[in-house]
Amino acid sequence: MTHCRHFGLNTCYMDDIDAMFSDLLGEMDLLTQSLGVETLPPEPPSSSSKEMNFSMGFADMNVESLNELEENDLDALMADLMADLNDTEEKLGGQKEAEAPHTDLPPASHGFSFYPESSLSTPTSPERGPNTFSAPLADSPAPILSPPTLPQHAKLSMEEIEAQMKADKIKLALEKLKEAKVKKLVVKVVMHDGSSKTLMVDERQTVRDVLDNLFEKTHCDCNVDWSLSETNPELQLERGFEEHENLVDPLSAWTRDSENKVLFQERPDKYEVFKNPQNFYLWKKDKKTIKDMKDRDKELLVEENFCGTSIIVPDLEGVLYLREDGKKSWKQRLFLLRASGIYYVPKGKSKTSRDLVCFVQFDNVNVYYGKEFKNKYKAPTDFCFVLKHPQIQKESQYIKYLCCDDAWTMNLWVTGIRIAKYGKSLYENYKTSMKKAAITTAWTNRTAGTTSIPSTPSPTTKAKASGQANGHAPQPPAEPVAKVGNAPPPPPPMLPTQILPPPPPDPVLPPPPPPLANKKSPPATSVPRQLPSLPTSFPPSPTSMANLPPPPPSLSQDDSSESPPDFLPPPPPTLGFGPGAGSLPPPPPVSFLPPPPPDPGFPLPPPPPDPAFCPVTNRDSLPAPPPRQSNIGAGAPPPPPPPPSASAGLQSTPSVRRTGPPPPKRTTPPLAAPGGGDFMSELAKAMAKKRGNQ
Amino acid sequence: MGQNSHSPVLMAVWDLSVTVEDLGADAPPITVSVTSDLHIGGVILKLVEKSQVKRDWSDHALWWEQKQQWLLRTAWTLEKCGIQADAGLIFMAQHKSLRLGLPNGLTLRLRACFSGPVFRTVLGICKMLNIRRPEELSLLRPVEEKKRKKDKDLSEELHDLTEVPLTSVSRPCLYNGMPAHFADSLQTEKVYKMLSVSQPAPAPEAIAKLYRPASVVDKAHIHSRWLDSSRSLMQQGVQQNDRLWLRFKYYCFHDLEPKYDVVRLTQMYEQARWAILLEDIDCTEEEMLLFGAIQYHINKLSLTEPQTMTSSPAMDDLDSALQGLEVKLDGAESSPQDMLENLTAPELNDYLKIFRPKRLTLKGYKQYWFKFKDASISYYKSKEESLGEPIQQINLKGCEAAPDVNVAGQKFCIKLLIPAPEGMNEVYLRCENEEQYSRWMAACRLASKGKSLADRLFQSEVQSILSFLAMQQTNPNTHTDDSMSINTHSLVSPRYSKKYKVKQLTPRILEAYQNVAQLSLTDALLRFLQIWQALPDFGISFVVVRFKGSRKDEVLGIAPNRLIRIDLGVGDVVKTWRYNNMRQWNVNWDIRQVAIEFDGNVNMAFSCVTADCKIVHEFIGGYIFMSTRSREQSDTLNEELFHKLTGGHEAL
Repeated sequence: MTHCRHFGLNTCYMDDIDAMFSDLLGEMDLLTQSLGVETLPPEPPSSSSKEMNFSMGFADMNVESLNELEENDLDALMADLMADLNDTEEKLGGQKEAEAPHTDLPPASHGFSFYPESSLSTPTSPERGPNTFSAPLADSPAPILSPPTLPQHAKLSMEEIEAQMKADKIKLALEKLKEAKVKKLVVKVVMHDGSSKTLMVDERQTVRDVLDNLFEKTHCDCNVDWSLSETNPELQLERGFEEHENLVDPLSAWTRDSENKVLFQERPDKYEVFKNPQNFYLWKKDKKTIKDMKDRDKELLVEENFCGTSIIVPDLEGVLYLREDGKKSWKQRLFLLRASGIYYVPKGKSKTSRDLVCFVQFDNVNVYYGKEFKNKYKAPTDFCFVLKHPQIQKESQYIKYLCCDDAWTMNLWVTGIRIAKYGKSLYENYKTSMKKAAITTAWTNRTAGTTSIPSTPSPTTKAKASGQANGHAPQPPAEPVAKVGNAPPPPPPMLPTQILPPPPPDPVLPPPPPPLANKKSPPATSVPRQLPSLPTSFPPSPTSMANLPPPPPSLSQDDSSESPPDFLPPPPPTLGFGPGAGSLPPPPPVSFLPPPPPDPGFPLPPPPPDPAFCPVTNRDSLPAPPPRQSNIGAGAPPPPPPPPSASAGLQSTPSVRRTGPPPPKRTTPPLAAPGGGDFMSELAKAMAKKRGNQ
Repeated sequence: MGQNSHSPVLMAVWDLSVTVEDLGADAPPITVSVTSDLHIGGVILKLVEKSQVKRDWSDHALWWEQKQQWLLRTAWTLEKCGIQADAGLIFMAQHKSLRLGLPNGLTLRLRACFSGPVFRTVLGICKMLNIRRPEELSLLRPVEEKKRKKDKDLSEELHDLTEVPLTSVSRPCLYNGMPAHFADSLQTEKVYKMLSVSQPAPAPEAIAKLYRPASVVDKAHIHSRWLDSSRSLMQQGVQQNDRLWLRFKYYCFHDLEPKYDVVRLTQMYEQARWAILLEDIDCTEEEMLLFGAIQYHINKLSLTEPQTMTSSPAMDDLDSALQGLEVKLDGAESSPQDMLENLTAPELNDYLKIFRPKRLTLKGYKQYWFKFKDASISYYKSKEESLGEPIQQINLKGCEAAPDVNVAGQKFCIKLLIPAPEGMNEVYLRCENEEQYSRWMAACRLASKGKSLADRLFQSEVQSILSFLAMQQTNPNTHTDDSMSINTHSLVSPRYSKKYKVKQLTPRILEAYQNVAQLSLTDALLRFLQIWQALPDFGISFVVVRFKGSRKDEVLGIAPNRLIRIDLGVGDVVKTWRYNNMRQWNVNWDIRQVAIEFDGNVNMAFSCVTADCKIVHEFIGGYIFMSTRSREQSDTLNEELFHKLTGGHEAL
């Protein structure tokens, strides 16, 4: 509250709107900084203040069953969290600079990204917490209510500038207010190999953003087929998210006890329509014509149907089976697809437009693939699709079930419906994906080409590590890894744009000997998986790619054609956090590990969990776990994740080991669905529980 | 005439008599003495001298009535032209006035070129009307309307543009947002407004009276009316003051840019609107209702919105930011924390009645105190208890809100379908009166789209709901605001006017209207065009043909990218050929047959039944010409290529 009062005083004395706004922004920035920095410093202030800050910043975050998240998840999460904060701040800062380069910025706005020391010096008072964001709000109206002044002086350029500055500041203030309300979810994504990753996703992030994030965290080839999809085991449904969708929206519809999952996998059906448009637009033609289609003609088809003033929907028509409401029978009807919806031809009527009866329009429904409906609903075939409101999660009369004769027809309809529903966005998404894939391929190819000589990995790695300003989720230095003998590959040299982390150590395969690990393990794990899907575009040698810096020209080119960092959601820790960067949360290999085996009796490698925590407690900066526990129970003060100092980074060996035996019991739904609870306290509980167990 | 005596008699001198149109129909022809080596320019010079009329003759030229051709090459000699003494020549203006029916149904009188090929004539007309991409339009003879009311025909309103000089500037400079040549007089300004703003909805009776094609064959007959682009109006028997229609002929609209294409966009919309109202193109009931809703929206905006085609998004942003802050200020006394929560939300509070059909209690409507806030509705036993926990809170995001209203019966219900994990929950809210209903309905509509009451749309939403309610009033005299009250029957084709009463139709159009209510005028026009273009039958021009080897008439559909063979009996598409597989096409002008060869040795040939094969030839060549445009980005029109592709034997 001290803070609020302080601010109120300011307003009383200041007539100048301008000054007031600078002040306001300054205050807000300080707060944001203190928020961000808190997780970093090796010597955090008293735990109580930390807790307050966390609960403030993320009060909107809905998290469920955090207790059951694995340790490495928590670590990964913290990394996300940090990146998230930085992202926001950078964005705000960048925006502001871009908009008003001529104005003198309130110093604080620079502060958060470039001057870490200022943030360190910021005193944080615990009470500030929940009120900080509303405080400026209470005072900001005053200047804004006197806008009549703006138009009057509009003609004078000086005053125009001032007005512009004011406007910018208002914008910035609003931006920050919004920021405080952003909803975030913790999402567990099941990877194609069955392992999982936990990500923090905020409501502004599109599926594309999240995919980019995952591209960074995995070593996949970034081809256009990679997609996120949701499954609903109860209804036996599956749907690939479209890349322009906000991920949080559909996930918010999941129920608390949902067993739904988010999958990260390759879906060839995703953009098939752009690769082979004739399959959809000329489906009536004979098979041979379709097969022999020339590339130029395919391009023309795409152009015709997606580049005109209006998107053309494939004119599908055919007999499908419709599941009768409430009954177990399936009835045949002649359906037609139009841009405005699916129609059927009533008995005894013609196919003319005016006789058609509307079966469903697409405004409020999504289309899903049905899985094994033959069993579940006695469908004539297993090639079913479903139309339902995204909110509906359980059996209901409002779900529409359709069944096709074959997979081909089903694919035709589902794609047709997606074109009708999403229109141009679908094509835009595809183009973005293509660019992304092209950049990645180009880069990897080029690097692979230039690195014919197996250079010694360590120097390059080091060189990279120093220039790793943008690297997300910083990797631990290679040495500790080698010590373990388990040989997860060293972190690849990170570049701002193309971040291809090394493949995860595959626990199933026997780990290669340490010295070789750097070179050989990546191809060993990744190639078999990726070859089938995209043999041509896969870089010949991921190893060399990981070891050598990419040729500078390629980098600049890539940057000019596209600038991924702009939409990479969680930007990496900035230079400002220099000392902290090395000590940031968990080495990726940890989170790369597959989920625990279902059988709790046989955790993978033997190392007992206890030693893992020794180093943690050793970090004297951290409060010792046991006492913490009682605190948590009382007021749920969330301790930040072990903020390892630079030296702690070297100690991370145990953390690698720790991953071996993951907690056996885990029935967690992958998503932290909108549930009660403040994220941080849940987090704290989870950590405490973990420690308690061990 | 002493000329003969002192000119050297190398050539025989003979008399050529020429009718000068401007002297009047009864005036005798003027006779000039000429020799066969005199060039046309010389003849004109003599003619003008002899007529003794002082005026600007520069637009005049000789028309050879007998041969139906213009003598435009002034350097050619009479001999070269093949003119002899018996040639009945007429000396007349090349530009004559024409009554031009526009896509919006109104008629202009303007001066058009009667001597150049129609393609050129259309270019000139479009330049004057400020329509870009004139190659997409052409002229056709109007459908003769049954003259039931002759008096009406006489009173047809003409918008006169004959005084407007024909500009030669390629892109006219703008003055007050309109081309300078329209800014000359108030009257022409009015005409420009008529061109660039969509027309109010016609009366349902007027729609019913207009000609509607009843079958594919009827539609095919319309396409037999297109004029030949390679010949002049005079050559095609068009007389001064005749009536012609200007229409978009090729349905591939290149480079549509609302900023420059105000007239083009408006007329395109009008053509689309009439195509739908007159059932020239088929659509489903749902589509018709959506078309109706967008028309309503466009009508409304055209009446209220001055022509501001551009607005700066940055200012909008700031506006909304300021508004947002003002909203927050309203609750300045409340604690800062509350204000944060209220970041966007004023509230609605009222006693309403609720009915949930699915509940076991069949008690019907029950009254509670309702609070609308942040896209959700909460209700309490009474106003006094509204500080405590609500009985229930309903989040409306993603819901469907439909009216269940009977104005005459004073029933104002909102039917809500609220999605939940288990399915959709049905809830009815009953309001006391129109005013209350419109506010709650507007709130529900916005909430269903995830918007809050603070949204700027709220007030306009309330207004439009009120005006829709007014439409349902049984007594039309109660209307206060005439402009807002549109008979919804004038928004749909006669088929649906017959099928539904106004009070059935109106709520359904209102329902569709919700999805478009927030569109700007330009966006609404574009949306209408998009939905039109997404119709399966869009852009198909029909011609009745007889395929080689077939004994019955069939229909050939000519679309922007393909040809379609349609069985007349069943109406089914039998076969499709795409232009990009086309190797070549030939027209045998003697037997009037079109033969086309496609990749893979696919050949087809047909003779035309309803339309001249020149029309079919021109359609195919025209579409191929249109498809070449996108690749060469230049703005200049390759007229030569057009004629090469569409001209036929006359042009070569």
